[in-house]
Amino acid sequence: MSITTSDTALSVERHWQELASRRRLYTIGGLAFMVLALAGSLWFANESNAGKFWDRLPHLFDFVDQLLPRDGWEVWRALFDLPSPYDDGSLKYDYPEGRMYLTQSLYVPEYVYKMIETLNIALVSTLVGFALGFCLCFLAASNLVTQRWLRFFVRRFMEVLRAFPEIVIAGFFLAVLSLGAIPAILAVSIHTVGALGKMFFEVVENADMRPDEGLRAAGANWPERVWFGIVPQVMPNFLSYALLRLEINVRASTIIGAVGGGGIGEVLRLSISQTHEAKTLAIILLLFLTIVGVDQFSAWLRRKLVGDQAFAFGRGD
Amino acid sequence: MLHIRDVTRRFGKNTAVDQVALEIPHGQMVGIIGRSGAGKSTLLRMINRLIDPSQGSIFFDRTEVSTLAGPALRRWQRDCAMIFQQFNLVPRLDVLTNVLLGRLNHRSTALNLLGMFSREERAHAIASLERLGIAQAALQPAGTLSGGQQQRVAIARALMQQPKVILADEPIASLDPLNAKVVMDSLQDINLRDGITVITNLHTLDTARAYCNRIIGMAAGKVVFDGAPEELTREAVRMVYGAEADGDEISEAITSTSAGTGMGARPRKPAPALAPAFAAH
Repeated sequence: MSITTSDTALSVERHWQELASRRRLYTIGGLAFMVLALAGSLWFANESNAGKFWDRLPHLFDFVDQLLPRDGWEVWRALFDLPSPYDDGSLKYDYPEGRMYLTQSLYVPEYVYKMIETLNIALVSTLVGFALGFCLCFLAASNLVTQRWLRFFVRRFMEVLRAFPEIVIAGFFLAVLSLGAIPAILAVSIHTVGALGKMFFEVVENADMRPDEGLRAAGANWPERVWFGIVPQVMPNFLSYALLRLEINVRASTIIGAVGGGGIGEVLRLSISQTHEAKTLAIILLLFLTIVGVDQFSAWLRRKLVGDQAFAFGRGD
Repeated sequence: MLHIRDVTRRFGKNTAVDQVALEIPHGQMVGIIGRSGAGKSTLLRMINRLIDPSQGSIFFDRTEVSTLAGPALRRWQRDCAMIFQQFNLVPRLDVLTNVLLGRLNHRSTALNLLGMFSREERAHAIASLERLGIAQAALQPAGTLSGGQQQRVAIARALMQQPKVILADEPIASLDPLNAKVVMDSLQDINLRDGITVITNLHTLDTARAYCNRIIGMAAGKVVFDGAPEELTREAVRMVYGAEADGDEISEAITSTSAGTGMGARPRKPAPALAPAFAAH
């Protein structure tokens, strides 16, 4: 099919062909680079590993073998601190050790107590992070703050807060404040302020500015404009992000426990290193159930609080 | 008296408002007409100081409005309420709270942030809503109301500011004819009963003719017509809207948002004697 075309149309066509072939070249080049980079990284990782991956792979099953308890009930006995029939006086089978007695006969099993300790770390640091992140985020939003230096300063500050992983900050505070939950709370809070602050100010920047304009035209000052014009719009998303952060913080405070921050992570590390197989499995089971529970709870709460309005703002309805 | 002295506003190379000079006495109902991009909206926003003028000054009585800053600026913005095409309410807050937000500048920030409005203020807000016929919606979130109702809430909020001037930027452009009539009637009522100056941007000629006792036509940032509705002749309309040179008349029936007979009755308030100020070109 031949269509006679004008010079302009021909030149557009030629130009388009050029652009298309250049795009194709970039795509092929990019893919080739990706494959090379991946192969190189894997090779380097294997070289720098103590043992070679393929040589060590069969030992995976030794570990599984070591984790098997003497019988299936041992896991439950370890979890609920019930006496074991294999008790030989060693710590390995002394499950009732570590019960937290509330009254003469009523007790909280050790690992449940440690789990509550970890959950508490996560909860407190999410609340602290929410409060401080909330205060900072409005100062970092370009639609609310015209002073570039202030925005720049607040944003860099939050970047610094979230730049270091919780475990690094925790290591520092553990050295200063000694072992326990307080340094863990500090570490997780600091990271949470930075992480939530960033998400919050991005939500604020997407807010519909018409309510704000209306308030400005009525003579409202900055705090009033933020509180009445912006906060009602962004609050559902803030809560949604905070609940997500709570889930993340439960995992983070578990890990921090393993480096001395108290809670379930600490007992997990101890029982793995001492090959207390029933205790290890009990803790893993408890962790799994807790994390699933927290995720389900926060999903339910999010639905309750936010409903389906979460992402409906900015449409002017 | 609102006195606009040779005000110019430039956006980059583009001049939105070019050397506009106007005097608007207290209690007038002024309609500003012109094509989109003629600078109507920019002019209103400069009066409220949502936008700052590039040149020139704006006086209200003895106060130079165009140089105010900080609390004094916010006090002027309180005295000079603004109504927007898109209502600019807070959709998630209930109607009554939205109306009470008009009081923000009368009160201390701490009380405002705690949401502690007094009994009198609430009564006043409900009375404003009643006056506009939407008191029954007072507890709904503002976002759930229809456009016409939202615009009436916005007017109630403006009333709560106890303003001296109300600026309305295309208040009926997003409304159906019936709601447009309700909103324009309310603005007229406020103008006549409370004696508040109302300056409104309009995109329909018949609305301007029906409700305003002074019409200002703008084209390319300049004022090209300023006079009573009777003086807005076919030539004047052509000057404002820059109709084709072949003299095709702009049909008011096409642009009209009127629901028919309802709109015609402009109260015969003695129109101030104003010479039509045809611009020099």
